[in-house]
Amino acid sequence: MMWMCVAVFLLWLRSGGCSEKANTSELIEYTAADFYEKLHSGKMMFIYFEHQVSPTISLFLLELEKSADALQDYGVLVGKVNCDKKLVQAYCTKERERHTAFLFRGGKEFLGFDLDTVFDVNSIVSEVLFAILREEVKYVHTDTDLLAMEKAARGKKDIVLGYVRSLGTQEHRSIMETAYVYGSKYQFILITGGPVLKHLGVDESSPSSQVWFLHCIVHSKLPRSSERCPLTRMRKPLSTLSLHSFLQLMEAPLVSEVYEDPSSVQNPQFPYQQTPQVFLFSRPATKQQDLDTATALAWRLRGLALLLLVHRLSPAVKTPDEYNAAYRLPEKSSEVKYLTLNDHDEVLELFTNHDKEEEDEEEDEGWLEDEEVDSHFAKLDDEIAASVYENRGNLPDMDSITQLTSANFHTAVTQSRLTVALFYLKWDAVSMAFLGSFIEVAERLEGSEVQMSAVDCGEWTDLCAAQSSLQIPFQPITAFPCILLLRPKEPAQHYRGMLGSEALHRFILLSLQASPVLLSTKEEVTSFLQEVPLPALAGYNPDRVMGLFKTQVHTGVSLFAEAAKSLRGEMLTGLLTDVLAEKWAAEHSMELPAVLVFPSWRTHTPHSTLPVSTSSEELLTHIHSARLHPLPELTVENLPSFLSLGKALLLLFVGEEEDEIGRRQNQALVEEMRGVVELGGGRMEQYLACWIHLGRTPAGMSVLGSYLGSMPPLPALVLTHLPSGNDIYQFPPNMPMVASSVLQWLQRIQEGAEPAAGFLGEDSWPPAVEFLDFLKIMDMQEPDSAQQQTPEEEEEEEDSKEEVVKADDSSSSAATFHNNPHSEL
Amino acid sequence: MDSNLPCLILFLLIGCVKCSFDNQHDGSRRYGYCVLGAGPAGLQMGYFLSKAKRDYIILERNSGPGSFFNKYPRHRKLISINKIHTGRQNREFNLRHDWNSLLSDNPDLLMKRVSSEFYPPADAFPTYLSMFEKELGLRVRYGVDIGRIRAVQSPRDRSYILTDQHAADYTCSVLLVATGLWVPQKVEFVGSDLVEGYESISTDPEDYKDQAVLILGKGNSAFETAQSILGKASKVHMLSSSPVRLAWQTHYVGDLRAVNNELIDTYQLKSLDGLAEARLDKIGITQRKEQSGRRSGAQKKAKFYLTLKKHIQHQEKKNSSDAPGEEMPGYHIDNFSMRKPYDRVIRCLGFRFNFSVFDSSACPPTSDNAKGRLPSVTPWYEGMNTPGLFVLGTAAHSRDYRSSAGGFVHGFRYTVRAVHRVLEQRYHNNPWPSTKLMMTQLQSWILKRLGEASGPYQMFQVLGDVILLRGSHCEYVEEFTLQALPQFSSVSGHEVSEHGLIVLVMQYGNNKIDFLGRSRAETDWTKAWKSNFLHPVLYYYDTLPSEEDMRLRPTGWPLPRPKAIHHMVEDFLAEWDTPISHIQPLRRFLEHCVQTDLRAFYAESCFRSSLTHRKPPLFCQQGYLKQQGVAHNSQPWQQVHDAGPMPTEQDTGKTSGSNPAFPNYLAQAGASVSSGLKLDF
Repeated sequence: MMWMCVAVFLLWLRSGGCSEKANTSELIEYTAADFYEKLHSGKMMFIYFEHQVSPTISLFLLELEKSADALQDYGVLVGKVNCDKKLVQAYCTKERERHTAFLFRGGKEFLGFDLDTVFDVNSIVSEVLFAILREEVKYVHTDTDLLAMEKAARGKKDIVLGYVRSLGTQEHRSIMETAYVYGSKYQFILITGGPVLKHLGVDESSPSSQVWFLHCIVHSKLPRSSERCPLTRMRKPLSTLSLHSFLQLMEAPLVSEVYEDPSSVQNPQFPYQQTPQVFLFSRPATKQQDLDTATALAWRLRGLALLLLVHRLSPAVKTPDEYNAAYRLPEKSSEVKYLTLNDHDEVLELFTNHDKEEEDEEEDEGWLEDEEVDSHFAKLDDEIAASVYENRGNLPDMDSITQLTSANFHTAVTQSRLTVALFYLKWDAVSMAFLGSFIEVAERLEGSEVQMSAVDCGEWTDLCAAQSSLQIPFQPITAFPCILLLRPKEPAQHYRGMLGSEALHRFILLSLQASPVLLSTKEEVTSFLQEVPLPALAGYNPDRVMGLFKTQVHTGVSLFAEAAKSLRGEMLTGLLTDVLAEKWAAEHSMELPAVLVFPSWRTHTPHSTLPVSTSSEELLTHIHSARLHPLPELTVENLPSFLSLGKALLLLFVGEEEDEIGRRQNQALVEEMRGVVELGGGRMEQYLACWIHLGRTPAGMSVLGSYLGSMPPLPALVLTHLPSGNDIYQFPPNMPMVASSVLQWLQRIQEGAEPAAGFLGEDSWPPAVEFLDFLKIMDMQEPDSAQQQTPEEEEEEEDSKEEVVKADDSSSSAATFHNNPHSEL
Repeated sequence: MDSNLPCLILFLLIGCVKCSFDNQHDGSRRYGYCVLGAGPAGLQMGYFLSKAKRDYIILERNSGPGSFFNKYPRHRKLISINKIHTGRQNREFNLRHDWNSLLSDNPDLLMKRVSSEFYPPADAFPTYLSMFEKELGLRVRYGVDIGRIRAVQSPRDRSYILTDQHAADYTCSVLLVATGLWVPQKVEFVGSDLVEGYESISTDPEDYKDQAVLILGKGNSAFETAQSILGKASKVHMLSSSPVRLAWQTHYVGDLRAVNNELIDTYQLKSLDGLAEARLDKIGITQRKEQSGRRSGAQKKAKFYLTLKKHIQHQEKKNSSDAPGEEMPGYHIDNFSMRKPYDRVIRCLGFRFNFSVFDSSACPPTSDNAKGRLPSVTPWYEGMNTPGLFVLGTAAHSRDYRSSAGGFVHGFRYTVRAVHRVLEQRYHNNPWPSTKLMMTQLQSWILKRLGEASGPYQMFQVLGDVILLRGSHCEYVEEFTLQALPQFSSVSGHEVSEHGLIVLVMQYGNNKIDFLGRSRAETDWTKAWKSNFLHPVLYYYDTLPSEEDMRLRPTGWPLPRPKAIHHMVEDFLAEWDTPISHIQPLRRFLEHCVQTDLRAFYAESCFRSSLTHRKPPLFCQQGYLKQQGVAHNSQPWQQVHDAGPMPTEQDTGKTSGSNPAFPNYLAQAGASVSSGLKLDF
């Protein structure tokens, strides 16, 4: 219906104003002769051959006319040939020509365009340019293709990657126009969605047209060369103009160094005059680091702002020391604003927020608003919460896990020899981060006798509070996540290990073993001490404890059994009594009763005998300390057990070995440390000699860097965590690391003759981010609303609050009776 | 307030007396606790006393529990919702939508066992109460009609003596008055004797056929009455001093509920019904016989005219059968809206507390609010001036009259529990139950309470959770009576440390807005303090506020101005658990209160901070250092971090270690780790 109206209207227009229109039309109408002449001159031409004019065609002609101007800039003639006047062979005869426009190039027909694809000026310009630039602008479908292009471009050309929602749009036109201009300088790539977008981190559901700049030239110079070229996303909405200035910004120097005060630094020059400037400061002492920091930030600010590094000690610089950053916006005043930053993210926020606000204004408010979360507050600053949030799209697959409820808890627990239950809260990020590991373990244990289960404590609150009237074998759960090992008719056992799949898996498998295992034959003893009990544990050598007692009723047996119970899952425990025990003791020339610990690391002397204990707690303490390696390699997993000794750390950092020689060198270093311990004897009691292998524990790298302020050559030996203070000492790097000199160095430190190389950080951890002070906001926006009342006011207040009814009545009732006769009497 | 000591001594004494006299000495019975009335509040208290194994008795003059509900509401439909299907299995959560059940440990002892209707029939409620009483084995003595209550003050203690219809005495150290409200509220005006009362009107709509009816009052009982006769009466007019207040606008369930508001429709659509405002003590009702007898010879039917007090000439002459025409308002005001006569005038003005049984020694004063219909009580529901006498249930509504749910079962079941905790602390030295939490668990625990707790949700702005900060841990005390916050330590038995405290309250916004209009809801958490609907608010105090602070608190606030406040933005689903809008801002607020970083860290970050600092952040101290570090799990999505040095990637910030790509980067560079990169200036 609508279409009919439009058509009629247009027809009327044509018939009514035909002659007039022909005069004003700028669309060049070529005669057949003109056409052939131009064609043979090799010009590029975009021509439509006109027959009868239908409403759709007349619309197209209007658009064609508009595009003539635009395409002229790119050397394309636009026009029409009227077939009614003179027939052009091959183009005026066939039916299909009526719905096609043709591009001619080099004297030949180059391409025909269906009018459906060239319907308006944007689509005409973009499609024609796309055709012309066929060789220059690549169309990429998959990530692999993109990777290949990146590889090819590395060190040679930067890539401009455009994504357009659909072809023939204004965005498409902008990219093609830019490609026409910059086509020789950059490699242009066009994509229209698919897996490539995913690689770029774009939400595929409703992406808007965007452009990325892939820095492939600098790629090879980057310190960490990944396969991909680093990329910068253009943040402004896509238009020819914005793309143009974006590309120019990409050419701007990453960091410029200046020796003037920010206030006297010029505004950015053409073509960057619309770009904010960010100033950071540098001192001679930390010149390189400052430059690194600035460069890192500049990468992140790329396309948003220009970064200038100001040499603070230059006499022209007058910025007070309290400020460590400044910026200048391009708008109106060119005043420089000074800042004291805690974190460079704040600078980033300054510019990204700006964008956000503008976007916000356009959006409607409402419950169902589809919020884009990109602002300062929207960023999660908790690493665990952030990783859970990133993964929010993937719901965990809970199929391998039994869901426990108040109703099925008891039956589920009685039916299985071992039930491992995870108590979690959905909103607790740690719970949810761990849930993935837990499911992994459940999947690995599928088919075993272990029942892996979970309790959603947001729903089964009475079960988690151990509140049910039924007997619940555990205390109320108040810390999440919580993992309990439940066995029928036994109190629950808390899992107190690392919240990771490896550790939990190992623990569950070990706790399937009896604790203690009753050893009744010699073979059993050998097998206990030498074999890994479960094939699933292959490759893992657990620590073992063995108790030897004269009789089964010896008082020590119950003590040992109790200790064994609490060690269940952590290590293997075995009990040997009677004749067998005596025989074993005799063979190994020792007295009964005895508790022997076999730590997995001990290879030459396989066990240590523990002193007699009077309580299971004491026994446990002995067992735990016997398990500790005297010269441990510190790892993320084991550090806590060594820190708990409370000793100062004599800490050796060794690097990753590249070859056998390196390995041997590292080995020698550790041996030297052993030498230090042995040579030092009693003096070394106060220290824990230990080492970190930076290859296996890369987290140690930043530790070392933070100790000394910079990365020293490896190996490095430091003394830290002294009970007496926060000083950190570094063994002189130029001195050979031999036991005697290390001991002398320790001696000098004790005497206070060594300078500290660094300091431990404060042990107070104030909040990383300031909270949003609503009280302050209220005081600003509604000054009195949050203030305490003053005593006088208060009486009035009470009166008026007391009886609304009376208050509004006493004054108005009479009046309403007279004046407002209808509704309110 | 009385000191606790005498009471304690009293108890010991009572204990002795009890042993030797077996409760039945010379017609007087002695109890630790007497609960007066076996309605919902009385039984609820009975349950808590029985669970604590206290010496108590519930006295009830009728033969069954909840007898009020045998008669009221007159039209036999409860308007408290009985929502059985909530999509949740969480019992605590489900109580948010079950307004009839009482609290108990028995998960099945709920109203839904008696009725499955959303608005249950009134008879279901006494049935439910009776089931509650029987299954929990509560000690109720029926048929005991207490006619007189007096206090006896000895030098050491105070007790209450209750005398029943047979002159038998009950001596109680603590008296819990749960008698409800059942005395009809009346207003005196000229002709008030011509008016029928809600308590005695006919509930058969046929009796109102073609009659013009004037109803005095605009509460739920008035509208319930109007609604039932709407189809029969010729017109229904309603008159009271204030305009109709709609519960969905005021968030006060005592105001007119939508379930009863059909008359608003017929009024606004001009269908003969109407509402009007006037103070009832300014009106008069006069009677005139209709001049119809001449034709039929039948009885002249009396008609009632509404007039104004000031037009009535002979105010003393009350029962005038025929008022002169000059007394008619239409005589004075040409278009007086209610100039036509009525066939009936019905009073539906609610009920008042029965003060008459209290001797002056034991009588709590009337409250300033609620037209003096209620006794005045302390923030912990003890009668003003009557130590040892507590008021429970609807009668205790003066504390939150017209603001919260304390006058209704779904509200006072929680205040009764609070009173019981007060008693346990005061007389038995049992502090309020509390949960000890590690500081790093507090956030999750608060979110847990927000996700399910029914007490603070129903008794918004009246009951709130109190979190006592103790450094690395805290004590979580649930559902404290907020107005008693200045007396927190003595009432709850918990000390407040120098770390201060946080109070968690559910609140509505103070602004009167169009609750169905656009932009009624706030969705931006940074403007959470402008939330209009029920949402959590946290108040942080470094010391307990004083009574003075409490009295002078900002207008419309449940608590005095704190050191810091945090509003959690209202949520359409009332689930305050989204990571960005709810959880992170809450964490930052808690961090501010305890001045400690409360973020969670992976084991690797804890490893770094443990080695570079003397102590790592609290989360690492309470997890990692106890060998319970959080390992990165090996799911593929975790590798997001390793995606390479994209310039667009954002570093998490303060602890340089939070970006695992960092060390690799350095390893490759072989370069120095600069202090500059640490970024903690």
